[in-house]
Amino acid sequence: MLSAADIHVDLAGAPVLRGVSLTARPGGMTVIVGPNGSGKTTLLRALTQDLPCRGAIRLDGDDIAYMPGWRLATRRAVLPQASRIAFPFTVLEIVRLGLMAAGSPPPPGRASDALARVGLAGFEGRFYQELSGGEQQRTQLARVLCQVWEPVGPDGARWLFLDEPVSSLDIGHQIEVMDRMADYAARGGGVIAVMHDLNLTAMYADQVILLAAGRCLAAGPPAEVLTDDLLSRAYGCALRVNTAPPAPATFLLPHMARRVG
Amino acid sequence: MATGSDLSIPFVLTRLLHGLAAALAFLAGAPVAAEPAQRVLSLGGAVTEIVHALGQGERLIARDTTSSYPSAVEVLPDVGYFRALSPEGVLSVDPDLILATEGSGPPETMAVLRAADIPLVMIPEGHDMSAIRAKITVIADALGVPDAGAELAAQVDAALVRAIAAGRSDTPPRVLFILSMQGGRIMAAGSGTAAEGIITLAGGVNAMEGFEGYTQVSDEAILMADPDVILMMERSGDHAADDAQIAAHPVLGRTRAAGAGAIVRQPGLLLLGFGPRTPEAVEALNDAFRKARS
Amino acid sequence: MAVADLAGARLRPVAGDRDRRARRVMLALIAVLGAVSVLSLGTGASGTSLWAALGKLARGEEIGLREEVILFDIRLPRLAMGAMVGAALAVSGAVMQGLFRNPLADPGLVGVGAGAGLGAICAIVLGAALPFALGDTLGQYLVPVAAFFGGWATTILLYRLSTSRGRTSVAVMLLGGIALGALAGALSGILIYMADDAQLRDLTFWGLGSLAGATWDKVLVAGPLIALALAATPFLARALNALALGEGPAAHLGIAVQRMKNISILTVAAATGAAVAVSGGIGFVGIVVPHLLRLITGPDHRYLLVNSALLGAALLIAADMIARTVIAPAELPIGIVTATLGGPFFLWILLRNRSLLDL
Repeated sequence: MLSAADIHVDLAGAPVLRGVSLTARPGGMTVIVGPNGSGKTTLLRALTQDLPCRGAIRLDGDDIAYMPGWRLATRRAVLPQASRIAFPFTVLEIVRLGLMAAGSPPPPGRASDALARVGLAGFEGRFYQELSGGEQQRTQLARVLCQVWEPVGPDGARWLFLDEPVSSLDIGHQIEVMDRMADYAARGGGVIAVMHDLNLTAMYADQVILLAAGRCLAAGPPAEVLTDDLLSRAYGCALRVNTAPPAPATFLLPHMARRVG
Repeated sequence: MATGSDLSIPFVLTRLLHGLAAALAFLAGAPVAAEPAQRVLSLGGAVTEIVHALGQGERLIARDTTSSYPSAVEVLPDVGYFRALSPEGVLSVDPDLILATEGSGPPETMAVLRAADIPLVMIPEGHDMSAIRAKITVIADALGVPDAGAELAAQVDAALVRAIAAGRSDTPPRVLFILSMQGGRIMAAGSGTAAEGIITLAGGVNAMEGFEGYTQVSDEAILMADPDVILMMERSGDHAADDAQIAAHPVLGRTRAAGAGAIVRQPGLLLLGFGPRTPEAVEALNDAFRKARS
Repeated sequence: MAVADLAGARLRPVAGDRDRRARRVMLALIAVLGAVSVLSLGTGASGTSLWAALGKLARGEEIGLREEVILFDIRLPRLAMGAMVGAALAVSGAVMQGLFRNPLADPGLVGVGAGAGLGAICAIVLGAALPFALGDTLGQYLVPVAAFFGGWATTILLYRLSTSRGRTSVAVMLLGGIALGALAGALSGILIYMADDAQLRDLTFWGLGSLAGATWDKVLVAGPLIALALAATPFLARALNALALGEGPAAHLGIAVQRMKNISILTVAAATGAAVAVSGGIGFVGIVVPHLLRLITGPDHRYLLVNSALLGAALLIAADMIARTVIAPAELPIGIVTATLGGPFFLWILLRNRSLLDL
C-alpha cells in the first residue's frame, strides 16, 4: 500500500500543493485528474521524489525517503511525461535500461516481450530519436514494464507511476495501453497515473483523485468523484456527465472501442 | 636506463670511422682538429656563424631553424627551433658534438642528450662586446681550434672598436626598435634586449625605457619617446607598404623618425645575433643614424 | 582494420543489439593499439631499428648506448605517455559528454583546460620569481605540476559553485565553466602581456601540445593518477547509460545520481589534469574519439568508455608518430597533427551523418 500524508510542495516560492493526502492500494488503478495547474503532475513528482516536498510518503509502511535508490528501483518504476534522450540509442537499448534496474537477471527476450506488449514488436533496431511521439512514449512504457515486470515481487506489490501515459497516443493505442495497465493492476500490482482524459479515467480507474488548486477535492470510485457538481467546481465550467449531446452532433467515446485481433 | 658500456660495437665503429676520417684528412693536408668531433650540431644562428667564421663549416652536419647564415648552412638538416628540440630528432643526425646556445631546450631533451653521452657545450648569450668574445672563445675551444678562435676574436674586437668609434656622436639618436606591428599594435624593445644592445653599440639610445624585454607599448608612450630613428627587422614582403603603414599610423606617423623617413631595416640575425657580423651591423646602423641626423 | 571500420561507419542498425559489434570493435582496437605501439617503437627520426636491437638483446649482445637511449629513454616513455594521455583525454571526453548529456561537451568545458593553461602560464612566466628558489627545486616539473593544480583547482571551484544542498546543477556547471574559462583566459592574458619573447615562444609551444618532453619521471608521476581515474570509469558506465534518459529517470532506475556526478567530476579532473599537465593542450581527441565510436557501436557506455580509451591511445600514438617523423629531424607539435587530421575527418563524419546528430 502506498500512502502520502499532508503533502506540501512550493515551487519558486508559490504553494502548488497545499496538503494533499492519498492512499493507493495495489490491485487497482489510482488516477489523478484535475484542471491545468491543479498540481496533478506535481503530486506525482512528489510521490516519486522528483520534487522535494513536506509530508511523509510510505510504501507498505516504510518511509521512502529512507529507502536506498536501488531498492526502490526494484519496487517501483516511473514513466516520465516527455523524454528527450541524449545520444542515438536504439529502442532495444532503451528498453534494456529497465532490465538493468530490475534486480534479478531477466530471461532472454524480455525486452522484446515488453515491446510486443506495447504494440512495438519488431521495433528493436529503430533509433529512438526517429520514432513518432507516440512510439517514443510506448518505448518508454516498455522500459518501465521491464523494470517491474512481475506485478508482485518478494517484497510485495510493485508499482507503476505514470505521468499521462496515453497523451500522445491515438485512441486504438490508448485502449491497448490502458488495458495493459489494468491487467497489471489486476495481477496484483499498483498503478498510479496522471490523466487528462476523463472518459478513459472513468473506464479504467478504481480510485479517482480530483485535484483543484493544489488541494484534493474528492477521492473515491469514479462514479462518486466524476459528478456534475465536483467536475464543474474543479474545472470552472459547467459539465454534465452521462449526457449525450443533442443530435445531429457526432461524439465518440472510448467505452465503445473494441480492440481487433 | 642509459648505462651501456663505452665499448659497445656501434660506438667503437664510429670511433674507428672518425679516426679513419681524421687520418685521411691529415694525408690530404687539411688542418686536423685536436678533438675528434667531426659531426657538429649547431644550435643558434650566431653559433653557426662563428663556426663558419672559424673555417670549420664543413664539420657542421645539422643546424637549428634560427641558423640561416651563411647560405651554405641552409642545405643542412634542420632539427627545429632550438628552444623546442626533439631528442630523437637531434640523435638522428648523429652528432658527436653539440654547440647549444644558452636557452636551448626543453630541459627534458637536454637531459636525454646528456644521457646519450653526447658532448654538449653551452654557449653563453649576451648583448655586448665581451659576450661576442666569450662565444667565440668557447666555440673555438670546443672545436679544438683555440688559435683560430683567438685570431677571430681579436679581429672581431678590432672591427667592433672601429665601428663603435665611428658611430660616436654628441647627439646620440633615439632609436625605437619595432619587433612587430601587427594590426597597428606595436611590439617594441625595452631594456635588456639584444635590440637595445646593438643600438647602444651603434651609438644610439633606446627610445623606449621603463620595461624589460619586448612588449606591446601604448601609443602615448611612443609619442612621448619621439624616436629619431625606427629600426626594424628585414623580412620578405613589401617594405614600401610597411613604410606607408608607418606613415599612416596615428602615432608613429607623427614621430620625428617617420617625418624624416629614417626607417632602418636590417636582417634579424645580423642585427640581433651578436656574432662575427656584429661590426658589420654596427656600421650599417652608423650609416643609417648619420643619414637620419643630416 | 578498425580504421576501415571507422571510415565505413554504417548507421542503420540491423538488430538494435550492438553488443557483439562493440565487442568485435574492442578486439580490433586492442589489435590496432598493439600494432601501432610496435610500429611506434620501431619508427623515429633516427634509423634505429627496434628489431635489430631486440635481435641483439636476444642473442645476449650489448646494444649501443645511443640505441639504448633512443629505444628506452625516448621512444618507450613517449609511447607510454602517448597511450596514457590519449586514453585519458578520450575517456574524459566520453564521461563529460555522458554527464552533460551533450555530444559536444569536453573536459575543457568544466574549466580543466583553462585552469591548467593558467597554471602552466603562471609557471612559465612567473616561475623564475618564485620564493625560496622553488622554481629551481621543481625544475622541469614546475609547469606540469602548476598545470595540474590549475586544472584541479578550477574544477573543484566550479563544482562548489554549482552544487547547493547536495545537488549539482549541470546547467550552472556548464555556464559557470564558460565564465571561469573566460576568467582564466583573462588572467592568462595579463600574464602573456607580461611575458618576454622567449616565454611567449614557450607558451605557444606548450599550448600546441607535445609529447616531446616525455620522460620516465613524468610517466611515473602522471601514470598512476590517470590509471586510477580510468579504473573508476567502468563503474560509471551503467549510470551514464541511465543518465541519458535524464536525471530523474536515472534516479528511478536506482542510480545514485549525485554520487555518480561526484565520481565523474573527480575522475575527469584527475585524468585530464594529469594528461594536460604532461602534454600541454592536445585538442580534438576528447570529442572526436567518443563521437566516432558512438557512430559505430552506439552510445552504450559499457563499451564506449573502454573503446574510447583504446582508440584514444592508438590515435595519439599514431599522431605522435607522424609528429616526430614528418619534418624530421625537427618535429611538429602533436596538437597541430591532431587538429589538422581530426578537424576535416570530423567534419566529414558530421556531414555524412547529419540526420542522426540532430537530437
